Amino acid sequence: MRRFFVVLKKELKEMLTWHTLVPILLIMVIYSFLGRTINQEVKKQAAPQPVTVVDLDRSQTSQMLVDILTKVKFKVTTVTEGVVDDIVRKVAAEKGTAVLVIPQGLEAGIQAQHPQKVRTYTIMRNFSMMGIQGTFRFDAALSAMNEYIGDMYIKTAAPGLDPAIVRHAISAQSFLTVGATSAEANPQEIVGVVMQQTMIIPIVLFMVIIMAAQMIAASIAGEKENKTLETLLSTPVARGALVTAKMMASGIVALVSAAAYMVGMKSYMGSLIGSSSGTSGTTAQAIQKLGLVLNLRGYVLLGLSVFAGIMVALSIALILGAFAEDLKSVQIIIMPLMMVVMLPYLITMFIDINTTSPVLKWLIYAIPFSHPFLAAQFIFAHNLTMVIAGIVYQFALFFVLATVAARIFSTDRILTMKLNTARRGSDLGGWTLQREGIRFRIRRK
Amino acid sequence: MEQALVVENLKKSYGKFEALHGISFEVAPGEIFALIGPNGAGKTTALRIVATILQPTSGTAHVYGMDVQKDAARIREIISYLPEEAGAYKNLTGLGYLSFMAELFASDSAVQREYVQRASDITGLGERLRDRIGTYSKGMTRKLLLSRAVMTCPKLAIIDEPTGGLDVVAAIDIRQLIRRTTAEGMAVLLSSHNMLEVEYLSDRVAIIDKGTIHDVGTPRGLKDKYGKANLEEVFVQVVKQ
Repeated sequence: MRRFFVVLKKELKEMLTWHTLVPILLIMVIYSFLGRTINQEVKKQAAPQPVTVVDLDRSQTSQMLVDILTKVKFKVTTVTEGVVDDIVRKVAAEKGTAVLVIPQGLEAGIQAQHPQKVRTYTIMRNFSMMGIQGTFRFDAALSAMNEYIGDMYIKTAAPGLDPAIVRHAISAQSFLTVGATSAEANPQEIVGVVMQQTMIIPIVLFMVIIMAAQMIAASIAGEKENKTLETLLSTPVARGALVTAKMMASGIVALVSAAAYMVGMKSYMGSLIGSSSGTSGTTAQAIQKLGLVLNLRGYVLLGLSVFAGIMVALSIALILGAFAEDLKSVQIIIMPLMMVVMLPYLITMFIDINTTSPVLKWLIYAIPFSHPFLAAQFIFAHNLTMVIAGIVYQFALFFVLATVAARIFSTDRILTMKLNTARRGSDLGGWTLQREGIRFRIRRK
Repeated sequence: MEQALVVENLKKSYGKFEALHGISFEVAPGEIFALIGPNGAGKTTALRIVATILQPTSGTAHVYGMDVQKDAARIREIISYLPEEAGAYKNLTGLGYLSFMAELFASDSAVQREYVQRASDITGLGERLRDRIGTYSKGMTRKLLLSRAVMTCPKLAIIDEPTGGLDVVAAIDIRQLIRRTTAEGMAVLLSSHNMLEVEYLSDRVAIIDKGTIHDVGTPRGLKDKYGKANLEEVFVQVVKQ
């Protein structure tokens, strides 16, 4: 046990260098910065936007439109005379963002039952999504105005008739059902909130798995290249302790980086997923009622699934690392693992596991990294059997792979297995898996 | 007296290629025994088997009576192995590396300190031991590794190409270092394709080529037997026969 800690300490010293820490810190800082910047921009957009209204009609109706704009958080400056082009140029020069022109005769036109037009000028300085948000609320103000005018007509034409029956004779009352429970809620809002809770998990998990796998494979390849592995193998350290120390050190470094990424990502993702809109009271109640909040049991299960996923990745990387002859070949060796990790991430984003074909479904279940991605969805759908089955499968696979890894380390395969990436001859390219002189060649066309 | 190493009819195959065709030799305690031969002769394979990191296809090797396959863990307690052109952990300092390796062998921290002190004295690197190994020259790294290999006073040190790739001055330093440290009874099994080095260092040599040992004897005995002036000429004569 003492020797295990000696090796673990050495592995951590080797892995936790400035070369590994600086990129982690850099990513954390960049994402925090991005998140903060987006947040500030969102807040800026939420603040009342200035708009200049050129009211050439000077009527009761035009005044009503100005009042509605004020209600939907526009800071209105009213101009009642002047040449429109000159006013727009002046507003643009003074860094204004929008001009609304109400033409003369608007009220009279409406009263004569002729549809009228107002003109809007959006002053563009940048072409980002945030830059044109103001125009959307302009449309909302116009809709409100149209509804009001429409109501006015209905009331005049058919006194006693409720305008609502004309406009919305049927409207939907949305209920969402999860398991056996139903609650009134807007499905889009609910999905948004649930995603907010779980979206960060697959991204961080993906990063951690790739990073930990690279660490451990590079650690073995580096030791092989440097021939320190031969020295280490001839010391009294048990091979199992050697394997475990390497896995644990990579796991610790991966978790440290995960924590750093989480901090950065949380700020970034938080700013992207509806932080500005917030959650309405009805949605919050529905979420509670439907049990769509991760409780302690949910967190424990999710944590176990993520942990098992990392352990499986580490054991695969350990085996793959045994094939690497030098640090250069690590990238090539880790590539298949990266593909396998990415696959469930992409599939589960676009495919509903419950309705897909059985072949694809079982293929997804067979990939151990699918389960951490699916776990959150299953927990929210109250399908704990699938979560637990996934965790059991992952741990079983881990023990098999760890045994294989330990077996490789306890025999001379660790020194004799090779992945040869060198080209042999002018027309032959590809990979050669080699063990004790036996070669398996994968031709690259 | 029990032999430090007894190798009997040792064979090792990599797939269809047989690297060792059944070699046999013995090393006595306190003796420096060298396997000499060209690159690819099977020297490193033989050394790795004795160092318990490769398994023989057939035949046996016993270190102080312990079998390299059955008693590998116990053998690792009393041997040290220095591979050819081995490196060290570049992010560690020389002292850090010695301390790490000493801790793997030592039973407690006092013994660990004793090992590190011995290695520090042997290296002759002085204050440079506090620098990162990444900044060391090849010769300095080799001295560090060699002192690491002997600091635990192993009963058998296995050293592959002790001076491979080193300049003349560094090579002489290393040879003297091995000579000095074996005076205390440590047996040494080394390999080299530098015949002159072996002639200076070894008590006995085995001439190995293409996985077969052709002759074993003292450098003087072999030179007399074949009537040659040095081991290089003896080697050419033996291999041609």
